[in-house]
Amino acid sequence: MKSHETFDELAAVYAVGALDGEDLARFEGHLAEGCPLCAATLRDSGEALGRLALSGTPAVPPPEVKAALLARVAASRPSRRAPAGAGWVPWAAATAAAAVIAAMITGGLVASRYEARLGQMARDTAAVRERLQRSEAALRDQVAVYRGAVELLRDPATRVVVLHGAGPSPEASARMIWHDKAGGHLFVANLPPAPAGKAYELWTLGGPAPEPAGTFQVDAAGRATHRVEPPAAPPAKFAVTLEPEAGVPAPTGPIVLASR
Amino acid sequence: MATAGEALVRRMAAGDREAFGAFYDRYAPLVYPLIVRIVRDRSDAADVLQDVFWEAWQGAGTYDPARGTPEAWMITRARTRAIDRVRAVRRRGETFVPPLDEGLAAAPAEAGGDAAERAEDRGLILSALETLPQPQREVIELAYYAGLTQTQIAERLEQPLGTVKTRIRLGLERLRDVVRRAT
Repeated sequence: MKSHETFDELAAVYAVGALDGEDLARFEGHLAEGCPLCAATLRDSGEALGRLALSGTPAVPPPEVKAALLARVAASRPSRRAPAGAGWVPWAAATAAAAVIAAMITGGLVASRYEARLGQMARDTAAVRERLQRSEAALRDQVAVYRGAVELLRDPATRVVVLHGAGPSPEASARMIWHDKAGGHLFVANLPPAPAGKAYELWTLGGPAPEPAGTFQVDAAGRATHRVEPPAAPPAKFAVTLEPEAGVPAPTGPIVLASR
Repeated sequence: MATAGEALVRRMAAGDREAFGAFYDRYAPLVYPLIVRIVRDRSDAADVLQDVFWEAWQGAGTYDPARGTPEAWMITRARTRAIDRVRAVRRRGETFVPPLDEGLAAAPAEAGGDAAERAEDRGLILSALETLPQPQREVIELAYYAGLTQTQIAERLEQPLGTVKTRIRLGLERLRDVVRRAT
């Protein structure tokens, strides 16, 4: 058997985040085999470096960071969809008011023309701003999904389950990145958009009956990502059926995707 | 036994926003100085701080107490994101690796809450880094705070890769010893 000493060294370099190249691949392979020595080294090193990091001079973070976070958190659950216009309405109103006041001061004949133009500009600006905020929110959500998935993949307990197309959509495919404690992310491809009034519903199969795990829609390109909370019992399989839009407690529609 | 921090993470995983506020108050003053130290720009640091806590809110369900304290969890996350930011900036060629002896100059002195309680340990552990032989301290700082990989460190110091690895291992072993004795 090979000495473990090399891995002690690799573990230390990994702990300070400096491992690269073949060493990195080799160590991560070793780690994935579940080496308890290296897991302990990493845990202790993490604590030591953490304490070291905390030993610097404390600093008070800018208060607007907390305010921004609390606003995001308030908007993120339970609906997950914040009304996109909320932030810009008062701003647009203020801009429009300023435009009106400016027009009054200019006075006379030009006033009404300026008012109209400034009003138009304020509306245009507000529309652009709203669009930007929407795409920013969408991008942030997307990044959060990918980061969530990558985070899960770092955990050796995470498995990737392939779902194959079935019934009406043999071309469809999906992958579930699953962790028994943390839940998972489903990534779907080539699934046709659900007909009006319908949605796709995910099921976890482990207990006596399929457990509903949320509904989702696919985009025009047939893709979807769907976050899944962990059920009480670890599931052995996953399946997706076509159901009424509001979702149902037990599957009724055709199976479109299933793991084997 | 679950610590107060672990309890907060568990409540966050269940969607408890109040717990998130308390979690922020507890850990932001600890990780913010580290982020400032790594990214060296206050407005960048505030961005990174926000990202880090947002991820913690979303990833609370993946926290596993067996793999470390919430403190270490947040520190790792903060350090990773801060280094990501530094590397992105470095790729654009806007900055260079700061000289080592600037070391601990980055953050202002305003202690409070949890941070103050750790004052005793802090002295001990800080001096631990200082008592490391300079070659070991140097490689750990280049890796952990400047985000250089082992290969980059070897090039920068003009040392064989094996030497760099050994120095990191020896330095880290000593740090672990100090922390073990302090707790």
